[in-house]
Amino acid sequence: MYNAGMQGSKPRTPYHEFYADDFTPRDHYRLLWDHIRATGNNALEAKAHESQLALQAEGVTFTVYGESEEGIERIWPFDLIPRIITAPEWVKIESGLKQRVRALNLFLGDLYGDQKIIKDGVIPPELIYQGRDFRREIVGIVPPRGIYTHVSGIDIIRDEKGEFLILEDNLRTPSGVSYMIENRVIERRILPEFFNKYRVRRVEHYPSLLLAALRALSPRGAANAEIVLLTPGIYNSAYFEHTFLAKEMGVELAEGRDMVTVNDIVYLKTTTGLQRVDVIYRRIDDDFLDPLVFRSDSSLGIAGVINAWRAGNVAIVNAPGSGIADDKAVYPYVPDIIRYYLGQEPILNNVPTYQMTNVKDREYVFDNMERMVIKAVSESGGYGMLMGPSSTPALRKEFVDLVQENPRNYIAQPVVYLSRHVCYMDGELEARHLDLRPYVIYGDDIEVVPGGLTRVALRKGSLVVNSSQGGGSKDTWVLAE
Amino acid sequence: MLSRIADSMYWMARYLERAGETARLMEINLLYLVEAEEDMGEEDKWRPILQINSSEPLYIEQFGNGSISTSRVLQFISAGRNNPSSIRTCLRLFRENARVARDRISKEMWEAVNEIWMSFNERLKGPLSAERAGNLFVELRNQVARFNGLVASTMMRGEAYAFYQLGGCFERADMTVRTLDVKYHIILPDLSMVGSALDYYQWAALLKSLSGFEAFRRNYHSAFMPADVAEFVVLNRDFPRSIVFSVKHMGSALQIIGLENKDATGTAFANLSEMVGGTSQQIFDAGLHEYLESLLEKMSLVHGALAEEFFQ
Repeated sequence: MYNAGMQGSKPRTPYHEFYADDFTPRDHYRLLWDHIRATGNNALEAKAHESQLALQAEGVTFTVYGESEEGIERIWPFDLIPRIITAPEWVKIESGLKQRVRALNLFLGDLYGDQKIIKDGVIPPELIYQGRDFRREIVGIVPPRGIYTHVSGIDIIRDEKGEFLILEDNLRTPSGVSYMIENRVIERRILPEFFNKYRVRRVEHYPSLLLAALRALSPRGAANAEIVLLTPGIYNSAYFEHTFLAKEMGVELAEGRDMVTVNDIVYLKTTTGLQRVDVIYRRIDDDFLDPLVFRSDSSLGIAGVINAWRAGNVAIVNAPGSGIADDKAVYPYVPDIIRYYLGQEPILNNVPTYQMTNVKDREYVFDNMERMVIKAVSESGGYGMLMGPSSTPALRKEFVDLVQENPRNYIAQPVVYLSRHVCYMDGELEARHLDLRPYVIYGDDIEVVPGGLTRVALRKGSLVVNSSQGGGSKDTWVLAE
Repeated sequence: MLSRIADSMYWMARYLERAGETARLMEINLLYLVEAEEDMGEEDKWRPILQINSSEPLYIEQFGNGSISTSRVLQFISAGRNNPSSIRTCLRLFRENARVARDRISKEMWEAVNEIWMSFNERLKGPLSAERAGNLFVELRNQVARFNGLVASTMMRGEAYAFYQLGGCFERADMTVRTLDVKYHIILPDLSMVGSALDYYQWAALLKSLSGFEAFRRNYHSAFMPADVAEFVVLNRDFPRSIVFSVKHMGSALQIIGLENKDATGTAFANLSEMVGGTSQQIFDAGLHEYLESLLEKMSLVHGALAEEFFQ
């Protein structure tokens, strides 16, 4: 169904964001290019070293799971050559993301309400009901202002023609925004001369946008809002980000065990007694949020928080149940979701996607596995994924079995050769693949921070950009007009 | 503030203080080894350190009886991964607690925490010669002093600060009591010697491991008399490593924190304060060792009450 034009695949060349051809950079990179050529590699080497020291001293880290009792804390990998997005390119991204987030929120309100979209036959009911992240427990609850995804981080890639495509909607607890800001802070400190040549839009106000959106949800009014950032704790891979945001917003950083619920009101346990909580910006999954409603073995959550939410005594951000809208099996339907609720054509397209529940699609994918990416629908972070081109026959066989066992649980996409960019790697400028995760905040209105987290696959030829799998990052510059 | 954060501020200070005090103790012991009595074996030189570090049983379990040697003890106390009181473990937990309280401490403090942990974790990796270890201990003491300077100059004087002070003073008092108890026993095996002058080097080492040698000399002009040393280390209100000094400062921290509706902590602390309010005569009447043991017991009651009323 989605495979028009995908059959006769010949070797394709990824889009190069920096170079127009072998010898000339694209127009918006020319000033940067001239500067790099004038100062030379030694200067870059010194800057690269400086950025490493700065990241190390500030403890900008992420944690890789499952290695030792102390956890492996790695310094955030940062490449100093910025990625530049022009003003017209950004206009398209921004309007496309706003449209998408608006439609997905209407979709969520509908799913947990009247379910018109299912009754109208746009979405097959089994797709929703079999989704692990559809939460029956909360059907009928309307969250404050009807907003579900106050924070979204939507992954965008550029295909071989340079077109921006949506790869994934992250609507649960998208992470990375602190690195977007840290990258900017570091870049500005070590490469101020780059900034003189361009008019770069600012990104550091993100925490204040988020804070305003959180305050507005307080049941006791914005002025009196007691806001808490709920973290799973210091061993979580994104703990750095949790502390970063709590500090920037001046809100309490708390774990589930720091809170109790009494008569449907959530309280913090403090040295002077209990203190009421109005808004919880949670950085843990629905599954662990409330042992009374979801997984009963969870020790990370707060018992009774869902009842407090239902009673309107506390706001939860993002709202419970949001995960069904970024379920990878729902993803192929997002263009239809946009048309259904907004009556508009999608501004940003999806990557072509095969449904494993469709027999024809499935056979086609099995016949072409070396050119496919197969993803488990409810995994993220690059886990539970088959990268066709680099896979072994044994692994492919394993995935055929997995898919046949539970087709609803998988989707496949033809490998898209992510666009490339120059990176400074050990003394040389080399091409590496990258993607982009801009952050969208839904407060009074929908706002997209001009920039985002550019993630780079640091291994040569690799298409996997996740930091848990050897990915790095770049500062992302959106140019003003 | 959050109970859990209060707990972390308190332990963060305790672990750093413990690491620093242990480094000081080791440094002085290494120095005095160079000129120690000929008939004193390595066992005798290092056993007290293991006792003060409360890790003697663990050491014996790991290396067996009669196995105490300079190089092993150096490694065990400095870098021992399974020694819960090793300097490395203390620094790791210092950083871990700082990470938990990351949103309550200043940027300057956090950067220093990182620097301390990363540089010492690196330096504690290889085998430690006495010389390398000595330099490392000096450097660590300097870093601890620098860190406490940053705390003093960058941290808001609120509850978080008070819990940090409380932890630091508590640990310092604890280390002083244990150092005094263990050393005193060795230097003064026979109580009949209480009235006689004592071995200069041994006592100097004890006072130096508490940074109190010069101050003591200024205050007491006679030879080293056991009663004088005990009085100085326990009861001198101006000596910053004396027990009474630490207890007094714990009291100031508790005042900032507030003891309303915290009866157990209030009572336990009042009992502790009372114990350090007496005279040296009273201490010797009760027996110094017995007195110190009872002090440790009172302190552990204070700690228990804090955990019960503030940290849960």
